[in-house]
Amino acid sequence: MRRRIAAWARRAAIGLVIAWSLFPVYWALNTSFMTNSEAQSAPTHFLVTRPIFSNYQAIFGAGPQASAAAGGIGRSLVNIIIESGGATLLTLVIAIVGAYAFARLRFRLKNLLFYTVLATLTLPVYATLIPLYRIMSELGLVNTYLGIIFVYASGFMPLAMWIMYNVFLALPPSIEEAAVIDGASMLQTFYRIALPIAKPGIAATAIITFLLGWGQFIFPLVLSSTSSTQPLTVVLASLVGRHVVPYTIINAAAIIAIAVPAVLVFLLNRWIVEGIIAGSVK
Amino acid sequence: MSQSVISRRRRSLAASTHRRSRRSEAMGYAMVAPLLIFILALALYPTVLTTIDAFMHIDALTPPNHFVGFGNFTAIFSNPEIRQSFENTGWYVVFGVGLTLVLGTTFGLLLQRRFRGRGIVLAIVILPWALPGVVEGVIWSWIYDPTFGVLNSVLKSLHLISQYQLFIGTRQIESILLTSLVQVWQITPLATLLVLASLQSIPGEVYEAARVDGASWWQVIRRITLPLIRPGLAIATVEALVLSLNIFDQVYVLNSGATTASSLMSETYFTTFQGLNFGQGYALSLLATVVTVVLSLGALKILYRKVTF
Repeated sequence: MRRRIAAWARRAAIGLVIAWSLFPVYWALNTSFMTNSEAQSAPTHFLVTRPIFSNYQAIFGAGPQASAAAGGIGRSLVNIIIESGGATLLTLVIAIVGAYAFARLRFRLKNLLFYTVLATLTLPVYATLIPLYRIMSELGLVNTYLGIIFVYASGFMPLAMWIMYNVFLALPPSIEEAAVIDGASMLQTFYRIALPIAKPGIAATAIITFLLGWGQFIFPLVLSSTSSTQPLTVVLASLVGRHVVPYTIINAAAIIAIAVPAVLVFLLNRWIVEGIIAGSVK
Repeated sequence: MSQSVISRRRRSLAASTHRRSRRSEAMGYAMVAPLLIFILALALYPTVLTTIDAFMHIDALTPPNHFVGFGNFTAIFSNPEIRQSFENTGWYVVFGVGLTLVLGTTFGLLLQRRFRGRGIVLAIVILPWALPGVVEGVIWSWIYDPTFGVLNSVLKSLHLISQYQLFIGTRQIESILLTSLVQVWQITPLATLLVLASLQSIPGEVYEAARVDGASWWQVIRRITLPLIRPGLAIATVEALVLSLNIFDQVYVLNSGATTASSLMSETYFTTFQGLNFGQGYALSLLATVVTVVLSLGALKILYRKVTF
């Protein structure tokens, strides 16, 4: 009997954990399907009975609620995809090449350079924020995709390098050695042998980097003063409490911002769990 | 005779590996060069600039720039708004670290044993960690909304409040706690996973021995589980410490520029980019960087002791 009570208590507690983790997202989803008057009426509508889609349509410039401000959210969605995607590409190419050299080649300053790169992982945002803004404005890269992509990539590279370094170290060296004995050059070995085997690791690094880019806020806030380059995060923050766009549309935009990471979490659940643990324990 | 053959062979081998290693040497530098250029130009050089410029008068409104020693630091310490942000950040750390550890440990212990659907539950628990902090601020701001928020509606129907409240912006501690809660929501998954990872490394015999000895449920947790998951808790503490010291996104969305619940990071942002006082912004940045690095290394040293079975 006592054991059965304990089992039920445990189940109830797990139910609470699920509610705590999901309720805010559920609430945004629920609100995103409401009409404006439903969202602003008491008693609160805990479950929308007749969901509407015009809040989402407005973001893409269509439907009865379309407005310039709502359309601006659509633009910022394009921006966040370009910026996160561009930063991911740049980070991957540079970090993978560097990681391979650190993992497989011997050169005199290797350790020093390796730890220099890794040490920047511990730098908080403060350390670089203001100078990066001034450097980018001197280079004329404020309000450009390139400026944002450069800043993101320089921030993401140490982590991407560290993950890829461990991926390359974990590959059995015998395969690459065999290629070298067969007369392949170092570059051929890297390109034809190591890269294809490291594909799962590369995919993982790409996903982490993309999600990091997707979540950026203070750097794009500082580096983009006009809507031409502001990502979804910056535009969403600017709409809160301003009453330019109704909260139903803001919640619809939030759901779009949530959807990308959420889909990745549910698809790659097991892998992410291991990755987080490995990444923070080491 | 045979001796010299061997030595000649050895010499030529050494020469070829030498040539090989010279080539590999050049190749190594070439391959890490792009990475280093980015790190030097956009991470190390800016850090050096922050360090130097914290001791300069740099104000876009009152040029020219010149050396002022600790002038910026005395200025920020005598500014009441900035001093309040120091105090607020202390509260953010207390709430952030405390709540994250309690919730993370509880969730970890609850989800430790295998059950049907555990994979999906774990995915749900991780979800807040993967979402952008700003977006979390946005959806919680709607929950906290003073006129249409669900929190007000629920509290009122439970008769816990008599009228709708403005939760963030008037009372300091309440504003900080509710803003911190949004960050706790985001970072608890990390603590949960770290606790789960440590729990999995505890051998089952330890529990069996305790059960044989007649230990109660609470004794097992206090005397066995908690001491053994210490390394995981140490890392979770440092992560929560760094993240709560650096809280910005949630503060920016929920509190905007008000001093009620301002944080070190939000104060740095507003001093620099709204007040255009770069010198003081640099001083705040340097201070925050040093505090972050020192506190996290210190916490790690105190908390992290190897656990052996």
